[in-house]
Amino acid sequence: MSSVDGRTFPERIIGSRFSAWLDKRVPPSPQITLSQRNIFIFPTRTGFVFSGLLLLLILGAVNYQASLVYAVAFLLGSLFLVTILYTFQNLSGLQLELVNARPGFVGEDLEFTVRVVRPQGKSREGIQLGWPSGIMQWAELLDKEADTVRLYVEAQRRGYQDPGRLLVETYFPLGLLRAWTWVDLNARALVYPKPVFQDFPISQQGPRDEGQLIDPFGSEDFRDIREYRPGDPTKHIIWRSYARSDELMVKQYASFVEPRLWLNLDDVSGGIEEKLSRLTGMALKATRQDREFGLKLGNLKLSPGLGDAHLETVLRELALYGFTER
Amino acid sequence: MDSPKGKAALGVAYQIPRNTLALLMIAQVVVIVPYLLHLSPWLIAVGLFSGYWRTRVYQGVWDYPGRLVKAVLVVASIAAVVLSGIEGFSLEAVSSLLIIAFALKLIEMKNRRDAYLVIFLSYFVIAIQFLFDQSILMALYELVAIVVVTAAMVGLNQLHTQVRPLVSLKLAGALVVQALPFTIVVFLLFPRIAPLWSVPLPNSSTTGISDELTPGDIASLTQSDEPAFRVIFDGERPPSSELYWRGLVYSEFDQGTWRVGPRLLPQAPRVSLEDGLRYAVLLEPTFRNWLFALDLAEPGTNSVRPTRDFRLEASEPVLSVFRYEVRSDPRGLLDPGVLPEFIRIRETAIDPTSNPRLTEFARSLWQQTGSAVAFTEAVLRSIRQEEYFYTLQPPTYTGAGTIDQFWFDGRAGFCTHYAGALVYMLRVAGIPARMVGGYQGGELNPITGHLIIRQYDAHAWAEVWQPETGWQRVDPTAAVAPARIEQGLSAALSAADRSSLSIFSNARIGDWAIAGSLLELIDSVELRWNLWVVGFDGNVQSGLLKSLLGELTPARVGMAMLGGGGLSLIVVLIVLFWRRRTLPRHPVELAFSRFAARLAAQGYPRRPEESPSGFVTRIASQVGLSDAQVGGVIAELDTLLYNPSVAWGNAELKQLKRQLRRLQFRLAFGATR
Repeated sequence: MSSVDGRTFPERIIGSRFSAWLDKRVPPSPQITLSQRNIFIFPTRTGFVFSGLLLLLILGAVNYQASLVYAVAFLLGSLFLVTILYTFQNLSGLQLELVNARPGFVGEDLEFTVRVVRPQGKSREGIQLGWPSGIMQWAELLDKEADTVRLYVEAQRRGYQDPGRLLVETYFPLGLLRAWTWVDLNARALVYPKPVFQDFPISQQGPRDEGQLIDPFGSEDFRDIREYRPGDPTKHIIWRSYARSDELMVKQYASFVEPRLWLNLDDVSGGIEEKLSRLTGMALKATRQDREFGLKLGNLKLSPGLGDAHLETVLRELALYGFTER
Repeated sequence: MDSPKGKAALGVAYQIPRNTLALLMIAQVVVIVPYLLHLSPWLIAVGLFSGYWRTRVYQGVWDYPGRLVKAVLVVASIAAVVLSGIEGFSLEAVSSLLIIAFALKLIEMKNRRDAYLVIFLSYFVIAIQFLFDQSILMALYELVAIVVVTAAMVGLNQLHTQVRPLVSLKLAGALVVQALPFTIVVFLLFPRIAPLWSVPLPNSSTTGISDELTPGDIASLTQSDEPAFRVIFDGERPPSSELYWRGLVYSEFDQGTWRVGPRLLPQAPRVSLEDGLRYAVLLEPTFRNWLFALDLAEPGTNSVRPTRDFRLEASEPVLSVFRYEVRSDPRGLLDPGVLPEFIRIRETAIDPTSNPRLTEFARSLWQQTGSAVAFTEAVLRSIRQEEYFYTLQPPTYTGAGTIDQFWFDGRAGFCTHYAGALVYMLRVAGIPARMVGGYQGGELNPITGHLIIRQYDAHAWAEVWQPETGWQRVDPTAAVAPARIEQGLSAALSAADRSSLSIFSNARIGDWAIAGSLLELIDSVELRWNLWVVGFDGNVQSGLLKSLLGELTPARVGMAMLGGGGLSLIVVLIVLFWRRRTLPRHPVELAFSRFAARLAAQGYPRRPEESPSGFVTRIASQVGLSDAQVGGVIAELDTLLYNPSVAWGNAELKQLKRQLRRLQFRLAFGATR
């Protein structure tokens, strides 16, 4: 990703002060029009080499007293100056707008859709945009007036991820100069926990004490009575019959699998992030298997449901668990 | 998810856009072709071969050359330089090496940096061509070459997926044209300074008079119709027969060759003329210091000084068209009265045994005549009356006693033969005499009124010293072929001689009237080009700037530079930004942003990440509007904003605005309920 890290030297030197200054200079906004207020321009390394070439040519012209060698040097120098205007103009007037920020899982790429609109009239070429942590993409504005560019940034941590300032740059037309700007489009995308896939734990058969289940084949169905075997839950012992017959009998319940799952933070093992990851994996698995599921995160309870919208709500809660920011 | 990052990562191995490659290959040919005149054809062959190889790589037929091929190419190129007979550290050697580097870099060019290197080398090769030729045609040609090379640079910064060299060329052309006004401002105002160090010069491939003269040298010069210099007279112009452009004085004779001899001390005789001929000379590059002028010359340009033998010399070798002002007095005397002893010794030195027959002849003639004037007259008379011929193709006189062979056996020769024989005889008689080289005559261009002196006007004559007259010009050619002096070369030549000249020379000499006048027109353009562009040096510059700005102070020049430069860049700015300022934003967007602002006022702000249609969808579901109620607006918004293939006009825009307004009312109603 050298293209992005290869920031020209004014930024590298000024560093963090630059970004503070930038916040004042180019304030965050979902839609930004580029103008002389927020465009920076500086020669590239190629530009400096080019200037060196000009010096050599002028030296040659002086020593050979050749008017036309002077003329070549001056023409190339003027070309450089004219290019300053061209490079600046290439960015100037561009309108950037964040269209969409698609959520993703930790470790995957977040997709941000940025729309670039150029003013009518002169076409623009060689415009690249991207975040420092992603890859630069080209905006094609040669034949059309607007282009939507999809930019990808690796999702780092659960919660809202702000990819920072977006770099918009151009080297057009000669690559001797670079015009660029850092715009803050207020972009943020939701990052879901990294899914960890595992079997649903047995105990995740729902909170029986609340008894709100109406399903006739629910897991509470009594089926049979048999002798106690070591290991049976003591809850199931029929103490009244023991009092009568000295025999330990237990009730047997039908262990139908409950089709509606309850994903509970307390039912999975590991640290809090790991727990959230496991729940994420289960939510995905349940959706894939077309099973209804509910979510219990501390005080929050989402009643069971199915479908993409439900999954999105669940994932959103998992992503934002513990955060106050919504 | 199919990671687009992975896809992009494959593209990281940078490929030079094919557009650029094509342009670079064209540029290479364009840039190398003019060197055909100066460099070995072998070298050009190596250059074009590598270009061909690169083309095959471009077409995907061949691979990049292996190490062995590259080694062979390097060896071949070096062999080419050696074979071409370039000696030492000359301009040809430097440009040869540059072209080799350029060609070989092109063949193995792979990444962006290589491409830039090739582009920068191309600019260099273009500039160096001007050290060989600064004619207006070459300038126009190289301007086109600069556009092609610049187009390659533009291509490097365009999107890779498009191969459209014409688009790049058009843009490069626009850039170069827009850079021209600023170039002219800087060209006029940038201070010209004297050379900082001496530089490798071209081998004496340029035609012209040299400081060694062997009979036959000047005859070969007549094959060339290249201009030697142009003269603009300020006022009166002497008749053609008086135009002896003196450039070199040959004092030493040895084994058939006349040489300039050791430099005389630069104690120039004071020449100060009140009146006389005034003229400016525009000398084509000679890569030497000597200049040409009419006797008796006083320089009017700072960097020109007179020499002890009444010639003019430039302080630096003339590498580019050089303009100097001269004032000449045709009646002025050179060294009248007493000749300093060291000069007398120098100008009478001769080895009488080198041409024994002529020595004998001269001694007996001296006994018969007894005075320098009578002696000279006698020699000229015998040339005029006996069977002597003037020809461009004399028999070759070789070995010992070349002047003997000419005078007694061949009896046919060119100006150098006759002048040489005369000087030899005078020196044998003890009279100070020397050979002088330069040009004689010149054509008048009726369009601009200037004289052009071409290489075929090269001439040699003699000078004889006598106390009363000083050094006086004696031209034996006038005795053998008076027409040469009065009417120019053509009149003096036989049909056989004329057929040996080039077509252009014949046309100039006057065979075809129409072609001749066309060539005159071209020449008048070239004069102006040389006057204002090629010959624009420090002297011309300060003259022009003084007439424009008055007193020349750094502040004034700086102001002029700022003013002129600023103005020329403002023109570019206007071209670039003019249309944009007058045009509004995208109308659909304008309509939507007004709608969004109204909704925000009603308490429905748009989230930063929301697209227009996303925003409408969210608000609609929040308020409880059905899909049917908002679906139309959403579809319309998406189409007009994002689908460039759908054409729409005012009717569609008006409809969208109406729909948005209706939606706004519905939302307002929903919110109050």
